[in-house]
Amino acid sequence: MPTDSRRINGPEDSFDPSVLLVDKKTREKILRDGKRKDGRKPEQVRPIFLKAGIISQARGSAYIEQNETKVMCAVYGPREVTKKEEFSMKGQLTCEFKFATFSCRVRRQYQQDNEERDYSCQLQDALEPAVRMDKFPKAQVNVYVTVLQNDGSPLAASLTCASVALANAGIEMYDLVVGCSARITPSEVFIDPTESEDYKAENDNEAGNGSVTLGLMPSLNQVSAITSKGEVEFELLNKGTKQCVDVCQKLYPVLQQAVAKAVEDRLSSDHVT
Amino acid sequence: MAAPTICVPGQRICRLEETCKQGNGTYPRNGYIYSSLAGYLHTFEDEDGKSLIEVKTQEEQNVVPSVDAIVTTRITNVNPRFCKCLILSVGKIPLREPFRGQIRKEDVRATEKDKLSLGDAHSYILSTAENELGVVIATSEAGATLEPISWCKMKCPKTMAEEFRKVAKVQPKYVQYAGT
Repeated sequence: MPTDSRRINGPEDSFDPSVLLVDKKTREKILRDGKRKDGRKPEQVRPIFLKAGIISQARGSAYIEQNETKVMCAVYGPREVTKKEEFSMKGQLTCEFKFATFSCRVRRQYQQDNEERDYSCQLQDALEPAVRMDKFPKAQVNVYVTVLQNDGSPLAASLTCASVALANAGIEMYDLVVGCSARITPSEVFIDPTESEDYKAENDNEAGNGSVTLGLMPSLNQVSAITSKGEVEFELLNKGTKQCVDVCQKLYPVLQQAVAKAVEDRLSSDHVT
Repeated sequence: MAAPTICVPGQRICRLEETCKQGNGTYPRNGYIYSSLAGYLHTFEDEDGKSLIEVKTQEEQNVVPSVDAIVTTRITNVNPRFCKCLILSVGKIPLREPFRGQIRKEDVRATEKDKLSLGDAHSYILSTAENELGVVIATSEAGATLEPISWCKMKCPKTMAEEFRKVAKVQPKYVQYAGT
């Protein structure tokens, strides 16, 4: 496993002072009262800003902001497959998910760690059903997702961002994929959790706590991928999943608009030149 | 010209009927035609009276070489058995990044087109087994551009030496003169 041997780390028993900042008791209180820190209702999603075609060198790109969570995505391809072993008559889709080193509370490594590799796989699983891979045989499409600021639900935001970027790149798709996540507590379901509300395995190990993220293809009304963490009661998981599906359907017009706007901009810029 | 309708992947275009046929950038599902590209809608009227529904993107469409496609390549390596080349464009559309191709010795001489597959893991397999396919531009050993004199020979204008090449009879529809 490649580790970073060139950087100088501090003495071994030093730790990040931000560990002392977060008060575990107040965190739990936020969730138990049913009231959220930013004043949202449990089923309310954060407002979204979505723009496509922001990276000029990439074939397609998109940028999404959900309050403080900021994610950008670049798509390259269809390109030639360079590795001999991965030959296939269908096209290939590879996804790379990375947190920028400054994006989280605790500084991230430059190289992908296990959590990011995990997210990369989940992203690929969620995007593959939507892309028409038979249209680019022997070629591959690369999706690179960079999280610029992580304030909760990075995977859901990345899913939305990546599918808009793929559409912007002119890759044929059956439908766009909308991502949404929910945090489940023993009493309530919170849609689109922020970083302080989000489920963390080391902190929330009581039974009944967990989270679920899903990707929905709204026009086909099919879930392309669903992932969940923690130990949750079936009723609440069911409720969380259904609410996520509803939210995704509501968000679909935002994605359509972003994609259409980018097509319009390209059209008008081509007429001018 | 009226403002074209912009389509988004997954958008329903129209009902699949006798008069409609789906073209590039669309797919049929459940009796309807859906768009699979982000671009604008094009409807062509066929001779039969059928309308072909397509979604077109603005710049070059994402093409990938397919079987029976005519491609323009640049030769990079020459070997007694085959030569390696870079596929630069498919039809009229130039590719952003070149693909690797291979022309085997037997595929240059044959006049019948065998069933060539799409190639293997390394590269695409190409053939020049038609009258109109072959060498378009070549440089002689002296460095000057060769002029074709027959279907298999080219002459260097400087040294008057003749070199063997399988010359292509390029169709006029594929030629675009610079400046027009």
